[in-house]
Amino acid sequence: SSNEHKLNFKKSKEACLSYIQDALLQKQWKRAAEFLTCYVESLEKDYSREHIGPSEMIWRIGTEILWHHSQSSMKEFNCFMEQMKTLGVKRYLKVCLEHVFHLLCNGQIDEAYQNLSLAESWRFGEQTVIQDKEMKLIQAYRGLLDYYSWSKQKNILLEHGEDGFSDLAVEQEMHGYFRKAAVNLKEIIKIPGVWDVFVKCYVDLLEFYGDHNEARQVLNEYAYNSKFPANPNAHVYLYQFLKRQGESKKSLISALKILHDIVPSHELMIDFNTMLQKSKKRKKRRLGLEVIFTALDYAGWKENAKAWSCLAGQVKQIVISEKHLDWIKQEWNSRKDWWPAFHFSRYLAKRNWQENKNLSYEKALVAGLLLGKDCKYFKYVSHQGCKAQLKRFRMLRKFVNKHNLVYLKISG
Amino acid sequence: GCWFPSLVPQDILYRSSLCRKLQAGKSGATLDFAKQLGYFFVDHPEDAFGSLGHLLHKNFYLGNSKLKRPARNSTIRMTALVEDINRLEARRGCPRQHLASRLRWFSHLCRDWLFEVPLGLLADCLHEELMQQWSNLLFDDSFTGGALAWLPPEDGGTPMGRLVHPGGQAMNHLYFQDVVLEELPRAQGSPQQFELSGRIRQVAAARVDGQDFVGVRSDYHCGVWRVPGKTGAAPAPLQVIRTDMPASCLTVSPHLPGELSVCTQSGTIYLWSIETGLQQLRHDPHTMFFRDYSPWRWSDFTAHPRVLSCADRTGLQCLDARAPKRCHFDLFKVGEEAGCQQGERVVLPMYLGRAHPSQYLVTTQFSVYVLDERLPLVPVLKWTHMMKAPPLFAHLLPGKPGRSHKVLLGASRTQELLLLQYRVSFWGVSSGGSQSACQLAGTPQKLHNISGCLQHLPTQLPHHHHMLQQRLTAPAAGLAAMLQEDGLHKSMLVFQLSEAGDVFSQRLTHKASEPPAPPSRDEATTAPGSSPLFEAPDSSPQGLGTAALRYRRWLRAFSRACREPPRHTWSPSLSQRRLFTHRDLEGPAGPSSLQKQMRQRLRQTMRERGRIQCWEPLALRPPPLPQTLEPAGGPDPLSTRLTAAWAGDWEQWWEERTSFSVAQRQRALRERRRRQKRAKSRRSLSASFTSSLTYQSELSELSDVGPQLLSPSRPPVLSQESSPPASTPPLHSFPISPAPDEALLSSQSLRCRGIPKERRKTLRDYLSVWAEGPPEPPEPLGSQASQLCIPSQSQLSSASQPRRKRPRMGF
Repeated sequence: SSNEHKLNFKKSKEACLSYIQDALLQKQWKRAAEFLTCYVESLEKDYSREHIGPSEMIWRIGTEILWHHSQSSMKEFNCFMEQMKTLGVKRYLKVCLEHVFHLLCNGQIDEAYQNLSLAESWRFGEQTVIQDKEMKLIQAYRGLLDYYSWSKQKNILLEHGEDGFSDLAVEQEMHGYFRKAAVNLKEIIKIPGVWDVFVKCYVDLLEFYGDHNEARQVLNEYAYNSKFPANPNAHVYLYQFLKRQGESKKSLISALKILHDIVPSHELMIDFNTMLQKSKKRKKRRLGLEVIFTALDYAGWKENAKAWSCLAGQVKQIVISEKHLDWIKQEWNSRKDWWPAFHFSRYLAKRNWQENKNLSYEKALVAGLLLGKDCKYFKYVSHQGCKAQLKRFRMLRKFVNKHNLVYLKISG
Repeated sequence: GCWFPSLVPQDILYRSSLCRKLQAGKSGATLDFAKQLGYFFVDHPEDAFGSLGHLLHKNFYLGNSKLKRPARNSTIRMTALVEDINRLEARRGCPRQHLASRLRWFSHLCRDWLFEVPLGLLADCLHEELMQQWSNLLFDDSFTGGALAWLPPEDGGTPMGRLVHPGGQAMNHLYFQDVVLEELPRAQGSPQQFELSGRIRQVAAARVDGQDFVGVRSDYHCGVWRVPGKTGAAPAPLQVIRTDMPASCLTVSPHLPGELSVCTQSGTIYLWSIETGLQQLRHDPHTMFFRDYSPWRWSDFTAHPRVLSCADRTGLQCLDARAPKRCHFDLFKVGEEAGCQQGERVVLPMYLGRAHPSQYLVTTQFSVYVLDERLPLVPVLKWTHMMKAPPLFAHLLPGKPGRSHKVLLGASRTQELLLLQYRVSFWGVSSGGSQSACQLAGTPQKLHNISGCLQHLPTQLPHHHHMLQQRLTAPAAGLAAMLQEDGLHKSMLVFQLSEAGDVFSQRLTHKASEPPAPPSRDEATTAPGSSPLFEAPDSSPQGLGTAALRYRRWLRAFSRACREPPRHTWSPSLSQRRLFTHRDLEGPAGPSSLQKQMRQRLRQTMRERGRIQCWEPLALRPPPLPQTLEPAGGPDPLSTRLTAAWAGDWEQWWEERTSFSVAQRQRALRERRRRQKRAKSRRSLSASFTSSLTYQSELSELSDVGPQLLSPSRPPVLSQESSPPASTPPLHSFPISPAPDEALLSSQSLRCRGIPKERRKTLRDYLSVWAEGPPEPPEPLGSQASQLCIPSQSQLSSASQPRRKRPRMGF
């Protein structure tokens, strides 16, 4: 009966798809391609209401196969893509974008640009929300390519400029690229999302033309608009911009403070800490200590010698001056139950000593002060250091012995 | 050896032609509820209707001939009923109803009182169990995480590692097997074995400070072992915890030695430290982001040793163990941010700390995501994995800086294995300040699965082939892998565990990539077929050379196991029609002397208002128990019922039995709490688990104890159960000591109670066992103990009741 036929057809379609997937996952591109030609028949009766219909399957699988197949050429690929664009109107823009990426990966930038322009002029029925978004993406990527051309022209001009020779035509062309790029880049970064590349390019353009206010506004918006995902990069870009602008310490610190709140394990925390340490205000130095303690909580910082030297320096300073021991006490309080096992075990002492003497020196100093001279880490490292007759370690031992009562004060 | 294949859909699905016809249109399965209920009655007749069966024994005639006039008034012929049932079976669903009228009449008459456990309640329990079994068949998440762990050799040590995996018939033995890495991995020596009390669901391991910590999860117990880094050092069990709800997750901290995280199906997440015990981080029976009924929870560690991730099917959150209520953030949400499909659910999250300290893997039934906790909610990598079953196992093989990281995904039912490689690439030129995005390196690759090696095996006898196929297609239960590098020769070794307890391995060797491919892609090829490393490791293969030999050896062991007579054969079938001959059923003319004796005894007991503990005549009884004291503990339900019946309070008894009164519930609760408190004070470990008895145990407990406690018509002797008024201490009760079991255990007190010397030890053992754990005492000893020496301890009486088997059937 027809019902059965339909069922069987559906079954054989599913089987075919699973064969293709099997071949794909075993890198048998040729076999996969052969099965795919059979699968094309499934377009004939496409009643499926699945998440991904057969035409989309063919597009996705076909691209993958052509990308890896040893006998495929770019021409074939382009041909396939053109067919796919007509196969599903709803997907037109998506396919275009994917095509452009392939062209870019093959270094065909001009063709990519052409394709983007073509896609931009495409219209079909009433524009849906999704189409609108995809169109914005197409425009943004075109803007990115314009930016690429702009920076190429800029480099030519800079080179020529050194020769003392300026080319008006090139300059005009460059400005033209700027205008085209700026318009499109500006649009995309208004939509909430992660647009790191686009933002960086746009800010670069603005800075070149001296529009620092607009650049600052863009970066502020990107960092502080609550509709955007909490993107630590946004704060990094803002910080770097402020630094380039030679802004005051205060504004740099406030930018990094927010980064610290979002990602306390960020690489820039060392800079932040150094900045805070130099400050004359007690409150900021207090924050600096907290920043470095918090950073060292994270597994990724465990063997960061620079961070340990920052902490060692600060702790040492506080111990010598005998002021603000309560700061250490507060920080240590929430860590004393797990830092010894996490940072100052005997195993780590051995390994740090073998791998990085510098690191083990800094850590031993911190361990000796926070846990007393009987702590395993300090004992092992100072013993090894003295055995190796390193002066630094002898001084360390003396220093810790002298201030051995500190640990009682901070843990009591 | 042998293994028990797990449940298959055919076991519990309803199959009949009628049903098939009805179902032709709609999809969905019908569970054969009636059949299962029938199985229960056949398998556990005593539990189903033991007491009434005994009582009505006389009124059921099992013979074939017609009943005579006087007998017909009080007896029914069961064979007729059986015939009716058979006829009904034969024409299942026949619309001619009158055929079943006799059955209807019988069931209408008996339904309410014939069953030991009220039928509605029993049916509810069975239905619940059946649904659970069915959902487990559709998707069993209890193996999430996998039960295979590889403990790599210490750097620069001998090329030897250790596999940790379960085995044995019930997968309740934990094995630590040394494995020498040669051309093919070889098991060395016999494994270290630990027998556990439950099926092992998950084995998790992490290396901290050069020591491996191995966490083992079974349904109600979690344990942790420490394996010192030195080769050949024996693993040491450290601690065990018991949970009231099945645990769904156990992960070992990669940061701090002896720290684990445990989740239970009640939605509770604990941080478990060997030194400080358990800390409850969260208790929430509901899912986090949207409503989705699923008790599954997962938890793992993050870059910060005090911050744990917790997951359910709807997403992941990170919470700070120092302030779990206040400090938490969302890491992953099934929804728009990650571009999820409809119906997509989290299957397995995993911390990728060894590859990148802030990254996370999340697999769903459709896709794989890599997340960065610094930029939560927006995945840094997404890929549709196209696996046929959801990936329950994952294993990370971190690459050296600049190289790709490898992730292996494994599914259980389909045994699929998938290798994907990704690279953390830094984009943005800034000085070490930019977020990293991830990129797949090369195309993902499918690896050989266990059942694929069937074709490489020599031809077998058909039935052997079938058995072999069954064995090799058993669902996968775990996954582990390691990278090996000697000079230029790079390879990857993948281990796969099957539910039958076999471990298989395959090696992938690195080949230089071909010109058109991206320059540094890892092209991996597998050796043909996988090779069983060793079979269920009770026989340890030693000194095996080639793969073929291994197969032969494994096959030989396998066929030997096949030849053993199967453990459970079909129960012998008997024709019920001619079960008894006419003569068998012909009773003696008058009451026998035994009956007379019994009647006399009964009358006497009634006069004394006591009760009869044992119905057997004295001559037939086993050597007398040291019954020195009045049996004052709880009598068994049958006796109570009889007592009540004799006293004429049958009706009231029944009322109380079916509907438990409030007071009694309160008492049971109070008692339970008291027991908990005692248990808490003794075992600090399980103390933090909220002890909540399940519906089932509540049922069985109450139905056992209830009537005796409340029955107003109970004889005065029984009233000693509740704490007696101080002014009139019952005759045989002892003063209640504050620490009853200590006092009870001293041999002096035992002696003064007249307990013979040789029994004292048994009693003491029993009491100490009871004091340690929830009481599940062996039956005779339990009742005996309660009768002998604890007559006045109300809190003990219910616990030491001989427990009836739970009414839930074992399928």
